[in-house]
Amino acid sequence: MSDFQTSTHRAKWIFTPQELIEKYKAANRRAIQTLEKYGTTQMEVDVDGSFSYPEPQINAKDNTEKHSRSKPLSIEEEHSMRVFYENKLREVCSAFYFPNKIQATALLYFKRFYLQWSVMEHHPKNIMLTCVYGACKIEENHVSAEELGKGISQDHQMILNYEMIVYQGLEFDLIVYAPYRPLEGFINDMEEFCQAKNGQLQMLKDLHETARMEVDKIMLTDAPLLFPPGQLALAALLSANKMHRVVDFDRYLTSILSRQNSAHTISELIESLNSIDSWVMKYKFPSEKDMKHINRKLKSCWGHNSHDESKKREKKSKHKSKSSNEMQNGP
Amino acid sequence: MGDGNTTTNRGGSGTSNNSEKPEWLQQYNLIGKIGEGTYGLVFLARIKSPTNRGKSIAIKKFKQSKDGDGVSPTAIREIMLLREITHENVVKLVNVHINHADMSLYLAFDYAEYDLYEIIRHHRDKVNHTINSYTVKSLLWQLLNGLNYLHSNWIIHRDLKPSNILVMGDGEEQGVVKIADFGLARIYQAPLKFLSENGVVVTIWYRAPELLLGAKHYTSAVDMWAVGCIFAELLTLKPLFQGAEAKSTQNPFQLDQLDKIFKILGHPTLEKWPTLASLPHWQSDSQHIQGHKYETNGLHSVVHLSPKSPAYDLLSKMLEYDPRKRITAAQALEHEYFRIEPLPGRNALVPSQPGEKVVNYPTRPVDSNTDFEGTTALQPPQPASGNPGPGNMGISNRNVPRPMPGVGMQRMQPQGMMAYNFPPQAGAAGGMNPSNIPMQRGMAAQAHQQQQLRRKDPGMGMPGYPPQQKSRRL
Repeated sequence: MSDFQTSTHRAKWIFTPQELIEKYKAANRRAIQTLEKYGTTQMEVDVDGSFSYPEPQINAKDNTEKHSRSKPLSIEEEHSMRVFYENKLREVCSAFYFPNKIQATALLYFKRFYLQWSVMEHHPKNIMLTCVYGACKIEENHVSAEELGKGISQDHQMILNYEMIVYQGLEFDLIVYAPYRPLEGFINDMEEFCQAKNGQLQMLKDLHETARMEVDKIMLTDAPLLFPPGQLALAALLSANKMHRVVDFDRYLTSILSRQNSAHTISELIESLNSIDSWVMKYKFPSEKDMKHINRKLKSCWGHNSHDESKKREKKSKHKSKSSNEMQNGP
Repeated sequence: MGDGNTTTNRGGSGTSNNSEKPEWLQQYNLIGKIGEGTYGLVFLARIKSPTNRGKSIAIKKFKQSKDGDGVSPTAIREIMLLREITHENVVKLVNVHINHADMSLYLAFDYAEYDLYEIIRHHRDKVNHTINSYTVKSLLWQLLNGLNYLHSNWIIHRDLKPSNILVMGDGEEQGVVKIADFGLARIYQAPLKFLSENGVVVTIWYRAPELLLGAKHYTSAVDMWAVGCIFAELLTLKPLFQGAEAKSTQNPFQLDQLDKIFKILGHPTLEKWPTLASLPHWQSDSQHIQGHKYETNGLHSVVHLSPKSPAYDLLSKMLEYDPRKRITAAQALEHEYFRIEPLPGRNALVPSQPGEKVVNYPTRPVDSNTDFEGTTALQPPQPASGNPGPGNMGISNRNVPRPMPGVGMQRMQPQGMMAYNFPPQAGAAGGMNPSNIPMQRGMAAQAHQQQQLRRKDPGMGMPGYPPQQKSRRL
């Protein structure tokens, strides 16, 4: 694979926490403005993949009335929505037994896409599926949109409609670096570092296994937008090592830094690793109740049902367990 | 990220319903069609904007994938690879335009006037004498230089052939080689699938013997085989192994191609190529390939080189049967051939000796009777607007020309177009990059040690030429 050092991933897609907040704010703000102007936030996507805002509402009075009912999502609610669908993304990938590289690529696509767009503008369910589809294409594990759609009872035409929009949102930077491979590299390196004998080799295997699960956790946070994959892998190893106690981690870090002639000090590195860990610690999956509430708000943003209260009520009673089954009943 | 285009592109479908040219197209004057291949058409256009006025751009149009499965994977693969790589001897993608109307992609490259296919043909059919040794050596050196860069970035081209090796015409980069057409290129680190499952690759004349024998895993060595074939073709003006392609089934066994190779290089033996025994077609021996017996290697007489010459030594190392013993691009660049007179240079097309005649290669034929879809007559020029195209480079796509039913038959709807300007190099935007630990592959993949060695080769990614002083060793 091309080199991370010269990659678009490194040059364009690793941010400071502040930059990230600004991006989420900007997307949210823009969606709210759209809502005010057009009465809906959802972009209309045509079969040919082009998209547009809906026509502005003509009846101003009616408009105002509607807006009073359409409450935009807050930045936090958008975040919950992304967290929810990132988990769905993982479920889809597991259902298809995709390798973790594909899952990681799809996750990164999803995260990057929503740096440009608000979830109020493009429904995360559609984007999530399209990201999985695109990741398969890029990682040479081609699955047809039809197959993918069928496997999860979703309309595959929607995936095709969104494909180009997703690539554009990603600015065509489609090669992404996941932490799984550097993790393997570190494990191999540790074997040498510890001059591992039989017993220790098994311990390193266990360490690897735990660290892989730690990487899975990290991938669901914002950390992959903030740190290079090598550091994500090290952070996973650090927390896995706390459990298994296989290596003297400080000594190991010192050793790799000295071998790399790194300009960074060990304390800087440890700070980064701790910061990654704190992202994992504060990760929170939204409750079913929260999701119900957010989904209701999101629907109103899209003007669904708002013109017909009775219909809305009817629909509601029909799908009582809606939020728990979002995949099947998404708008 | 530092790319404001996303915002300007947003909601790009707009409301204009008139028949104006799409905005992205208005930044170019279309000159005409210059090529067509399996994946689409290639056009020549000139930039209108004052900053780069008149600069020639090659625009490669990809038709949408036919099976109704979204954006062409070939186009996507080419874009994703070219987005990540920058090298003097590799074409550079400067712009991507999207036509939403038919989901097609237009890739803009700097235009290259020549390619090795045309240069060789011109010498064979018109000039009637071989290409001078300075030019051959310079072309080969630059080709290897670009390939070394690709291989050290874990990319196998897989479709190297003379028509994919471009050479720049008049201008600052005159006579500079550009490797083009990455539609079949693959990243080969930790493939999720056997690479061979991705279908047939490489025009058979340039296909490596291990592929012909059904190897499941293959390596950057397949590109080196192709370079060897191209080197020989530069010397003799004739394809070295001109086999007749078997086309019966999906991925037929190319007996004739192997026979052509064996006839010139002699039969491979298990002694020289131990893993030969494990290759499917050799093992099954269904067509009695083991039975064919060509004992001697007649390569030197085919290419008219003394078996003791450095040129022959290099060529025979590129055409080594065993892919593991085949010379790598990095090793080839260090070969003695490049250290003796005439030394390779950046402009392959200037005469090496004062007073030597310059060969005037023909410019690319342009079919000016098409529009960007390859159908109707050229539209009159429109007033310039839109973004200045920043870039440079060219591309051709003259594969074996194949008919392309369907391409350009759809009417292009102007409102769906979106331009995609890539920032020259996006480094400024990233913000922090706290201690980037270059572990990405350095420590992984012990299996690729050979490549790791290549990576250490200095000069990778830096256009440079063999040091002059060193080379005068005689």
